[in-house]
Amino acid sequence: MPTTDDGGYVNYFEILDLGPDAKPGEVRKSYRTKMKNLVAEIAAVEITEERRAAYLLEMAKLNAGLFLLRETELRDAYWQDRQELINLEHEWCQAAQSGADTNELRKSYDSRVRAFLSRYVEDAMLAAGRDKECVEVSHWDPAHERHASRILRHYRNGLYQQILERLPFAEVTKPDIDWDERRKFVAGVLAQGAN
Amino acid sequence: MFGRKKTATAPKIVDQEITAHALAKAVADGDFVNFRLLFQSFSPARVSSSERFEDAKYAYLLPDDDLESKPEFREALRMVREEATWRHIQNELDANRPAQLPAELVLLLADNAVRLGKYTIAAQAYELLRMRRRMQDEFFAQADTALDNGNARRAVHGYLVATGLEYNYAAFPEPLPLVPDWQTKALILHGEYPRTPDDCIPLQQPEQFLRTALTYLLLDGRAAARIEGRPVSVRLSFLAELVKQRDPAWRDFVHRYREACDQMREFEARIQHAMAERGGGRVSLAREIEEMLGEDPHKIPATLLGRTIEGGEWWQYLKELAYTHPASALFVSRQVIGETEIIVPRYRGDSPVPSAVGLLPAAAANV
Repeated sequence: MPTTDDGGYVNYFEILDLGPDAKPGEVRKSYRTKMKNLVAEIAAVEITEERRAAYLLEMAKLNAGLFLLRETELRDAYWQDRQELINLEHEWCQAAQSGADTNELRKSYDSRVRAFLSRYVEDAMLAAGRDKECVEVSHWDPAHERHASRILRHYRNGLYQQILERLPFAEVTKPDIDWDERRKFVAGVLAQGAN
Repeated sequence: MFGRKKTATAPKIVDQEITAHALAKAVADGDFVNFRLLFQSFSPARVSSSERFEDAKYAYLLPDDDLESKPEFREALRMVREEATWRHIQNELDANRPAQLPAELVLLLADNAVRLGKYTIAAQAYELLRMRRRMQDEFFAQADTALDNGNARRAVHGYLVATGLEYNYAAFPEPLPLVPDWQTKALILHGEYPRTPDDCIPLQQPEQFLRTALTYLLLDGRAAARIEGRPVSVRLSFLAELVKQRDPAWRDFVHRYREACDQMREFEARIQHAMAERGGGRVSLAREIEEMLGEDPHKIPATLLGRTIEGGEWWQYLKELAYTHPASALFVSRQVIGETEIIVPRYRGDSPVPSAVGLLPAAAANV
């Protein structure tokens, strides 16, 4: 499961090492530098299945970063959606703590977080892979896309799980887990299996 | 005015005791599907639903005398009846919205599912409680300790539970528990025709073979990597135990494998003989006919599988074989004979693996 310090709401400014007020020229420059370094790194190592997956994901993230941040309209929409989602999460968590009925907030948040991750992770990365500028710099091709679709889905669902970890429990009441008791349970299961 | 007359129906009464017993049965059985069903809008446990426990179609939700006498059921029933839990259940069944499941019952259900070997159900329940990964880590950790203490049996059981709790986040459209799809994994394993002995999985060097075998049988490269640093002898005993625990009917395959090896040896001896005859220019029509009357090598896949697949291709035999005996895919190889391709038994005579997993009584020559 991916863990990022952006709380699961993928931050393409951070991925490209830029501030949120970066200009399109800075976005392009940073993207080209990072992609060039990544391609050089890929050429220098032996490619295993795990490495291929990791490199494809890195490439896809950089491509999506350029694709979303080089145009003002797309960038503003992405950043606004992200900010609204963070605010909505905060609002839901506050409401849940105060004991209010949060069913509507939860449903609204859940549909929006799924839409955000689909649009700005999977869809953006796949669309970027067909973008002329991205293809030119990263040499991304249909074979990459075939390999990447599964990796991107895994990444998106991983981000969703990362976000879910800190949200109020909804489908189930909050469990009260005693990990000492859990360890004993595991030991019991293994002892039973060994006999 | 012209509409149908409304017929007055008596309000539905749900027997609380039946509801408690149905919930306890689902928990004791580690049955997450039935447990969820009891909270659905159409559940017979809801007053608002037209479904009733008294209908014969819902008999499967209720415990029989045998189950009621078991301690797992009694413990589940005790927890269902706990005041706070029961009050929560009642509130959820009365509310007109998706129910919030009681965590303590979901946890007990998951634990029962683990004890019963229903790992995919346990994975779903632990995932809902957001503790699946940590439970996996705990099973791995205790299994590693067992391996440190030389208890391969306990270690393998721990690894099987831990990998059974794995989730596939790349599944479409939603993440799902990872399932052991040997019929697919075996095909991937033999995806490319072996051009050299090094390409042939059963003929790999023991070190490389152990890595391939553990990754394949544990369904997870990360799990196999945990054992990577241990001595070969430890990995070998782990693999032998893993093969047995993955496939309780492994011995049946062993008998058929040895028979297929005999057929393979006989066929290869015949080929060698025929080639030597041709090389010496002493071949005659009578001799060729005699050579052709030997055992048909195309029977070998059927011997391995224990039955014939009508018009069966090599990959059909491989899929069926891997589904029945997962580890069998590690000791066979693709082979073109004449116009057709079949699967044949192969192993390294100088490798400790075949005898460790019981395929051979002792080291033998390469097949």
